[in-house]
Amino acid sequence: MQIGFLAVSVVLGPFAAAQKPVRKAPTAADWTAMSKLPDFTGVWETGPGGGGGGRAGGRGAAAAKGGAPAVPVRPAGPSLTPAYAAKAQAPQPRAEENETANCLPPGMPAIMGQPYPIEILMTPGKVTIVIEAYTQVRHIFTDGRPLPEDPDPTFFGTSVGHWEGDTLVVESVGFEQTPRGLSFPYSDKMKITERFKLADPDTLSIETTISDPEALAQPYSMGARTFKRHRSWTIAEYICEENNRNFADQNGKAGIKLSNPLASPK
Amino acid sequence: MKRSMKFGLQAAVLAGAIAGLSGVALAHHSFAAFDVTTEKVITGTVKKFDYTNPHTWVWIDVANDQGGVDTWGFEGMSPNYLGRRGWTRSTLKPGDKITVTFRPMKDGEKGGMWVSGKRPNGEVLMMGGAITDP
Repeated sequence: MQIGFLAVSVVLGPFAAAQKPVRKAPTAADWTAMSKLPDFTGVWETGPGGGGGGRAGGRGAAAAKGGAPAVPVRPAGPSLTPAYAAKAQAPQPRAEENETANCLPPGMPAIMGQPYPIEILMTPGKVTIVIEAYTQVRHIFTDGRPLPEDPDPTFFGTSVGHWEGDTLVVESVGFEQTPRGLSFPYSDKMKITERFKLADPDTLSIETTISDPEALAQPYSMGARTFKRHRSWTIAEYICEENNRNFADQNGKAGIKLSNPLASPK
Repeated sequence: MKRSMKFGLQAAVLAGAIAGLSGVALAHHSFAAFDVTTEKVITGTVKKFDYTNPHTWVWIDVANDQGGVDTWGFEGMSPNYLGRRGWTRSTLKPGDKITVTFRPMKDGEKGGMWVSGKRPNGEVLMMGGAITDP
């Protein structure tokens, strides 16, 4: 018994280490290669379109504002498998209002459709998205590592990206059952694919498609959301807990505490 | 008439913005606490302006029937949103006279959702509209 245990330890140790992707130090050639890629860097105003709204049936399509092109993309809703259609019919707990009232950020893909800008950073082997809403960050590895086979479930999943010509294709897996992530039930096999492409020099299009072999009869295209680049903008702080007056009662019903104006921090 | 038409247009623009952004803007929480079918108007003096996330709050002192003063609170858009539309933390200062149009709290508390504010000189303060920061 003891010998067997040791043998397993010896085998598992180096095996586990070999499986963990390691980022190599970027070279001058790596930085030079960056200059050949489309420039997605900078701060982008979230505009209208599908994707990110997280609503079935295209209800997430936002109003045109700030000069972003008005493209009312209203894709059809997702086709759920019979088992998940039944799940969708079942009464859901009122967790959405509850969690929202407590400042929990939405999960993917809704975090990409908030009414606040995002900033994209490009470095060798990685694209980083700084999301102003709720002060969040997404990490997209472009160093060739594979998607994890058994990812821990998280709000934004684990993401890898690769380039197909001028399009950055980002695949994400491993999603928590998050508030406001999506308006339909999904399984732990869900995969979100986003295609990032410049529609013109200062307009970014992100097309979002969701696949889920258990929940969806076919991949669900949420359409493309457009973002407008503002070279003068910076990402601002957004600490939701700063002066949150929302609360949820024991039934999950959201309300507002108005009683004490002096309770706020400023 | 001219002024009311102008106001009507702005109100329509705001209503459109709110309707169009349902599910995204102000999506930090539901609107369940507000009676969005009603608008009320009240005049008072700014006591405090919380230029804070996830929402701004405008607190105004309003004279009541008993010869005293009540403090009313109005929820507005976030500083991140307003800051790109010409607002600063000094847009409303303590002592400013303001007439607020709002959607009242359903529970009868003194306050609601800010729709617009109007200064004695006629200036209207909206919380929606086009981005002013290039």
